[in-house]
Amino acid sequence: MSSTIHVPGSAVQRPRATARRIWASSRHLVPVVSLLVLIFVLFSVTNPYFLSAGNLTILLTSSTGLWVIAIGMTAVMVSGAVDLSVGALVAFLAILFAKLLDAGVAGGLALVLTILAGALIGGGVNGLLIGRLQLSFLLVTMASLTAFTGFVNLWSETKSIPVSSPVTDTIAFGHVLGVNTSILIMAAVLLVGLFVQKWTYFGRDVYAVGGNAIAARLAGISATRTTVAVFAISGAMAAVAAVVGIGRSSAASPTVDNSVPLQAIACVLLGGASIAGGSGGVGGTALGVLFLSTLGNGLSLSGISSYWQGVVTGVILVGAVLLNRISDRGLSRPFRRANPPSTGAAPDAP
Amino acid sequence: MASGPHGGGPRAGADGPVVGARPLLEVRELAKRFGGVHALRGAHLTIRAPGMVHGLIGENGSGKSTLLGILSGQLSPDGGQILLDGDAVTLTPPTRALAHGLAMVSQEIAYAPELSVAENVLMGRRLRRSALGIDWRASRHAATETLARLGVDVDVDRSMRDLRPDQRQMVEIARALSMDTRILILDEPTSSLDKHESDALFDVVRALKDEGVAVVFVSHRLDELFELSDSITVLRDGRTVAEGPLDDFTPASVIAAMVGRYGESPTPHEPRRRDEGRPAALAVEHLSSPRAVHDVSLSVGRGEIVGIAGQVGSGRSELLECLFGARAVTSGEIEVDGRRHTPSTPLAAIRAGLAFVPPDRKGQGLVLSGTIRSNLMAAALCNRRRLAVPNKRDEDEIIDGLVRRMRVRLHDTEDPVSTLSGGNQQKVAIGKWLARAPQVILLDEPTRGVDVAAKAEVHSLLRETAASGAALLVSSSELPELLVLCDRILVMAQGRVVGEADAADADEETLLRYITNA
Repeated sequence: MSSTIHVPGSAVQRPRATARRIWASSRHLVPVVSLLVLIFVLFSVTNPYFLSAGNLTILLTSSTGLWVIAIGMTAVMVSGAVDLSVGALVAFLAILFAKLLDAGVAGGLALVLTILAGALIGGGVNGLLIGRLQLSFLLVTMASLTAFTGFVNLWSETKSIPVSSPVTDTIAFGHVLGVNTSILIMAAVLLVGLFVQKWTYFGRDVYAVGGNAIAARLAGISATRTTVAVFAISGAMAAVAAVVGIGRSSAASPTVDNSVPLQAIACVLLGGASIAGGSGGVGGTALGVLFLSTLGNGLSLSGISSYWQGVVTGVILVGAVLLNRISDRGLSRPFRRANPPSTGAAPDAP
Repeated sequence: MASGPHGGGPRAGADGPVVGARPLLEVRELAKRFGGVHALRGAHLTIRAPGMVHGLIGENGSGKSTLLGILSGQLSPDGGQILLDGDAVTLTPPTRALAHGLAMVSQEIAYAPELSVAENVLMGRRLRRSALGIDWRASRHAATETLARLGVDVDVDRSMRDLRPDQRQMVEIARALSMDTRILILDEPTSSLDKHESDALFDVVRALKDEGVAVVFVSHRLDELFELSDSITVLRDGRTVAEGPLDDFTPASVIAAMVGRYGESPTPHEPRRRDEGRPAALAVEHLSSPRAVHDVSLSVGRGEIVGIAGQVGSGRSELLECLFGARAVTSGEIEVDGRRHTPSTPLAAIRAGLAFVPPDRKGQGLVLSGTIRSNLMAAALCNRRRLAVPNKRDEDEIIDGLVRRMRVRLHDTEDPVSTLSGGNQQKVAIGKWLARAPQVILLDEPTRGVDVAAKAEVHSLLRETAASGAALLVSSSELPELLVLCDRILVMAQGRVVGEADAADADEETLLRYITNA
C-alpha cells in the first residue's frame, strides 16, 4: 500500500467537483442547445403561430419516428458502428405488421411480434455479421439495406396495405391522461435510454467497446454480444417507428425512405457523438432531433422550400462537429500522434 | 546450440519438474501456428511463486507477442499446457483469463479516450452497483483508491485523453489490478516513458511484488530487465532458449541467447570528420514555435550525427517537427546546405533535402497494410508528376538498391510491410528516404520498440548513412543510444537547448544532470 493516499472530494471541494463533472458530461451539448435556442427565438419572432400549443404538438408528434430511430441509432453509433439499414427495416416491419393484422393477429400482439422481429433481424443479421464475423458495418448494413428493400417489394408487390386498427390509431392519435400517446412514447424511449446508458453495465459496455475495442476485450467485455445487442435495439426501434408511421398514414407502405438513416445519423452527431464511437448519448440525440424538426417546422411555416432544410442541416452538421472539435482540442493540431505531444504537460523534474 | 547462461539453474527447455511447491504459473511446450508459420513451438515459462517479477525477452518475431496473446486469453494455443497452481487451465476468451487472475497491460493503446478515468479503471462491468443501477459515487471512490495504491493522484472525473501518456499507462495498470489480478503482464510498459516516469513505474512494480502480485515484465531494455526481475525467460524462434533465476544471467548471456550467438560488443566510438570549409548541412538560428520550442540554434555538419536528449515534452520531438514543416514556426531561420529553407509543409521540407523518420513507426512512418515495395517507394515518388506512369524497371532498381543497402530481411517485396519484424520495419521506414539521397535526416526515436540485435544493426546503418555524407539529427529518450550513436549531443528542456556535450567524453550522468536540473 502506498502511504500517499490523497482523499478526493473533501467537503470543500465537492460542490466544485460536481459542477465540473456536470460540465464535463454536458459540454458536448453546447452547440446543439445554442442552435436550438437560436432557431426557436428566430422562429417565434418571425412567426406568431410558431409558439402556439397546436404547432408545438404537431412539431413533436411529427418527429416521433425519427426520434425513436435516432435513439436506436445512438446505441449503434456509440458502439462505433452505423446502421444504414433502418430505413429499409422500417418498411419491411411495417409490411410485416400489416400482414400480421391481415392474418387475424390481435393488434397488441402484432405490435409485440413486430418489435421482436425487428430486434431479431437487427441483431441476428446485422449484429451477428458485424460482431461475430467481424465484417465492416458499412458493408453489412448497406447489403442488408439492399436485401430488405428488394424483399419488401417482392413481398408486398409494391402495394401499400391499408390498415385500420385501434392499436395504431391509439399510438398515432390517442391520448393518455391528456397527453398524446406518441409524445408519451417519445418520453418513455428517451427515459429508458438515459437510464440504460448511464446506470447499467450494458450501457457502459457500449461506450467501452466504442471507445476502444481492444481495451474492452482485455477488460472482459464481449464485443460480439454488445454489437449484437445494439443492432437489436436499432431493429426494435425501427419496428416502433414502423407502427407509428402506419398509425399516422393508416397504411403500411413498402416504399423505403433512405433519408431516414442519414437523418438519424445527423441527429446523433448533432447531439455530440463522434463518428468513431465512444461518445455522445441519447440526451444529445433527442436535442438533435428537436433541432431538425424545429427547423423543418419553422421553415415550412415561413413558406420556405423544405429543400432548404436539407441545405441548412448539412451546413450546420459540419459546423457543429467543427465546434465540438475546437472546444475539445483547440484549432491547430498539425500532426495527429499516438502519443499526444507535450503541450503543457512537461513532466516535473525530480 | 544450447546457449549457456546457466550456472546450475534449470537447463534451457528442460522438462524436469521443479522441486518444491507447485509453481504459480507453468507454461509447457506451448505451440501455435498461423498458417504455415510456427509462431510458437515449445515455449516454456515458469513463475515459481506469487510476488515474483519475471522478465520475458526475445527479438521481435521470437513469438513473444503470441505467448502474451495466449496468456491474456486472446489466442488459443494449438498445443502445450498451461498450469495454474498445478492445474491445467484454458485461458480463452479473455474473460476466462481474467477470472483466473491473469491480466495484461497491452502495448497497444488500450483505453477509451472519451471516457473518464474512473470508467477506464473499472472498465468491464466492475463499476460499483446498487439496486438502482450503477453507483457512480462509490465507483469514483473505488477508482481513486486503486490509483492511490499505485501512488497516482489524478482526478478520476477527467477524461482519459487529458492525461499524460505515463498517467494513462498507470490507469491501465490500475485497471488490471482492480480485477483481483494474481499475475500481471506488462508488455513493454516503458517504451513510451522517459527515465523519470519509468522509475515511478518500477516503484509500482516493486510495491505490487510486496503485495504478492506476480508480474511478467516484457522489455527490450536489458538494464530494466536486470533491475527488476527475479527470473528471466528468453525466447527465440518460438522456443524458450534460456530460463532461470536472474543470477544465472549476465546482459551478454541474455543477448547471446536472444540472437543465438554472443553479440558483438558495441562499435567503439570514432570521431567523424567535419567539413569546415563548406556551410553546415543544417543550420538553425533562433527557431521558435508556440509553446514548444524557444529560441533554438544549432548546426549539423555533413557526415555528422547530432543527438538531442531531453524528457518527453522537452521540445526535442517538436523541434524536428518544426524543421520538417509539420509544426508552425513563429520565428527563426533555417538553412539547408547554405540555402534558406522555409518549412511551410512537409513537401517543402522534402524538396529542400530533408527527411523525417517519425517516432511512431506503425502510425506515421509506414503504411502498415501496404507492401514493402510501396512503402519504400513512397518518398521517392513525391517529386514525380502525379499522372506519370510508373517505370517498373527503374523502380525495381531503386527497391533492390534500398533493400540491399538497408539489409532488410524479407521474403518478397510485394508482402505487406506488417509481416516484417519491428527492426526490419524500421529499416524500411528509414530506407524509404534514402532513395532521394537527402542532405539532412531527422530521426525521432529511431529504435523504439526494436530489439537489441536489430537496434545495433539500425545504428550501424545510420552510421553508414552519415559516412556517405548525410547530416543526421537524432532525438531519443534513450541516453545509451545517443552516446553510442552520436558525435555531439544537445540537451533540451522546456523547449530550449540547455546543454551540449561531445559524445566521446560524455556519460549518462552528465546528460541526466543537464536534463533534470533545467
